[in-house]
Amino acid sequence: MPPIRSLGSSRNKKPPAGFEDIRDDLEIFNIKMKDAQNTPTNNIPKHQAQWPIFQIAHQRSRYVYELYYEKEAISKQLYDWLLKNGYADAMLIAKWKKQGYEKLCCLRCIQTKETNFQSTCVCRVPKAQLKDEQDVQCVSCGCRGCASSD
Amino acid sequence: MLKSTYKPSQNQPPPLPPGWTEHKAPTGHTYYYNATTKQSTYTRPSASPLPTPTATTVPQHPPQDPHANFFQYSNVPQLSDPATANAFLAQYDPAHQRHLQQQQHGGRGGHRGYNEGKDRPRPQPVDKPKSKVAIPGCEPWLLVYTKYGRRFAYNPVKNASYWRIPEKVMKGVLELDIRGIKEKATGEHGGVTDAKASTSPSAEPERKLSTAETAETTEGMAEQVELGSDYEEVEVTDDEDEQEEGDREIEEGQSSERPSKRQRTEEPAEDAPIEFNEDDIAYQLQAMGDEYGLDPGEYDDGNPDAWPEGAEGLPLSEADARELFKDLLNDYGINPYSSWEKLIEEGRIIDDGRYTVLNTMKARKDVWEEWSRERIQVLKEQRAKEEKKDPRIPYLAFLQQKATPKLYWPEFRRKYKKEAPMRDTNLSDRDREKWYREHINRLKLPQDVLKKDLATLLRSVPLRSFNNKTHLENLPPEILADLRYISLDPQIRDPLIEAYIQTLGQPPAADEAEEDEAARKAKEERRKREKALQERERIVAEEKRKQKRQLEFGKAALREEERELERAMHVGKKGLQSQLLSANKADSAAGLLGSS
Repeated sequence: MPPIRSLGSSRNKKPPAGFEDIRDDLEIFNIKMKDAQNTPTNNIPKHQAQWPIFQIAHQRSRYVYELYYEKEAISKQLYDWLLKNGYADAMLIAKWKKQGYEKLCCLRCIQTKETNFQSTCVCRVPKAQLKDEQDVQCVSCGCRGCASSD
Repeated sequence: MLKSTYKPSQNQPPPLPPGWTEHKAPTGHTYYYNATTKQSTYTRPSASPLPTPTATTVPQHPPQDPHANFFQYSNVPQLSDPATANAFLAQYDPAHQRHLQQQQHGGRGGHRGYNEGKDRPRPQPVDKPKSKVAIPGCEPWLLVYTKYGRRFAYNPVKNASYWRIPEKVMKGVLELDIRGIKEKATGEHGGVTDAKASTSPSAEPERKLSTAETAETTEGMAEQVELGSDYEEVEVTDDEDEQEEGDREIEEGQSSERPSKRQRTEEPAEDAPIEFNEDDIAYQLQAMGDEYGLDPGEYDDGNPDAWPEGAEGLPLSEADARELFKDLLNDYGINPYSSWEKLIEEGRIIDDGRYTVLNTMKARKDVWEEWSRERIQVLKEQRAKEEKKDPRIPYLAFLQQKATPKLYWPEFRRKYKKEAPMRDTNLSDRDREKWYREHINRLKLPQDVLKKDLATLLRSVPLRSFNNKTHLENLPPEILADLRYISLDPQIRDPLIEAYIQTLGQPPAADEAEEDEAARKAKEERRKREKALQERERIVAEEKRKQKRQLEFGKAALREEERELERAMHVGKKGLQSQLLSANKADSAAGLLGSS
């Protein structure tokens, strides 16, 4: 049986100060995400169905990450609250802090297991090392290249 | 199916001449566009051999939105000087036009409108001063030639210029022309052949020369007729168009009365002794351009090097460009918390001229990042400075305005969920609901009870914060944040409160006295400290002086000793005897003194 969420759980706790500044933008991301979730996927290839979802999740995480780490616009409390409430992907942000992963598109693209050649996704390959000027788009999230040198 | 019964009237306008196409402007006007000549006009061009000139081009100087104007002026050093003002406007102008054109096309999708705006011909260049010549005999007057070969008389003293050359100057102008022709002739002899000189028949200048020479003795007016088109008085009006100018240009290019342009430009170096310089010409032309509703930079498409400074854009340093871009961000009220992608997607700033001061997207993003960081810091500081306001006050004021017994809380919340007091995160929804219900319940109470409640509330506030010096606008927060305050209608409530304030006493003086006491104490302390410091300094100074004196004394003693030593060391060549002698002498002298 799933745990019953009480009214007093973290999700319903009021956000820390400073949330009003970013609420509208986060709301826009929410709306975009809902739209992406609700668009029918009958007429597109199956592997592409989730690309917009990945993309919006990435953008939203990036937004929160930049607010906290680069612009220093939000407080630690608010950042934690946002992570806890699912406004950003903490695992992805954790990767962005590592060298070589500054622009990582999604976590699936660095997963080497269960891939054909036991390697990461093609979008992790720097543009300079790709043979010809091919325009790749990775299968998992539609990324066109997220190597740090790109 | 219904069909329109409309039939085109018999007197249909004549068909358009080839090349012209008919279009509908977004405003509903029909206009005509010639793709080959890039002309557009509102008047229907007729199929006559000479195509009708563009009577009214697309409004060249549409009313600019005040917002944009404000931005422009907000960061300009000083625009009192019309020249700099024009230059500055010109700097932003192309972007403005794009912007405005896009606004015109707003109804039909941004992208399309944008493209059309780009295709549309820009306002054709009009004219610009090319050279100036002092008119001999009429001293302050100058003759200014424009790029298209037109010329006007300019009086730098009166600061007036006339297309129609005044009578009194006419003679001087004639003389000048004659000289010009002569010069040209010599120039041709010297072998200077430019395109114009070669095309002009060489016989004609000579003929003109002779006529001019004969004319010198006769009346100037008669000569004017002979000399022809160059002396035609040109009436310049606002609706004069480029086509006509073009015609005149051709006409004048063919007529060889005027020397070639190159010579003109060489001339003024020797002939312009007075204080009429490039700036003056530029000023004059700007004034004229303003009459046509043009900005500098639109006068010309050819050579930008002669424009008034800044007409084609002031040279921007990188720092300036960055600042400009920041100004742009400030002016559009960009939210520093939003992301760069959102800003670009919105595309509002792209239409502004200052968007292009930075060339690369990377530079723009850098500046944006810097700006947003600064801005956020500023906002943070502002917030910290702002006093903590009770969040209940705006909510309760809002309740008083909107709450009615007709709406249940869920309905009320749904209806006003976008309002700021309803979104304030400092209040919990449960509190809001509670206050709403309470307020609605209180609204149902009789007026007397409400009044009594208000009176008790007023009485409960201490005199320190609520006394006869209080105004209605700044009541203490204890009152404002209370439900009893809002449950009465303001029209009844305010007089009540005012009356109550009248009855209140003076603000308590004890506090002030106490405060005074504290302040005085602090002052006393301070004075004491200062006095002590002074005392100490005095003592130190005295000590120093004493030390110095001692030192000097010691030095003097030392010197004395040294001298003694020196004297002792000083042994003469006479040896010991002499010393003994001297000693004896001294002894005898002492004995003599003693005996006497």
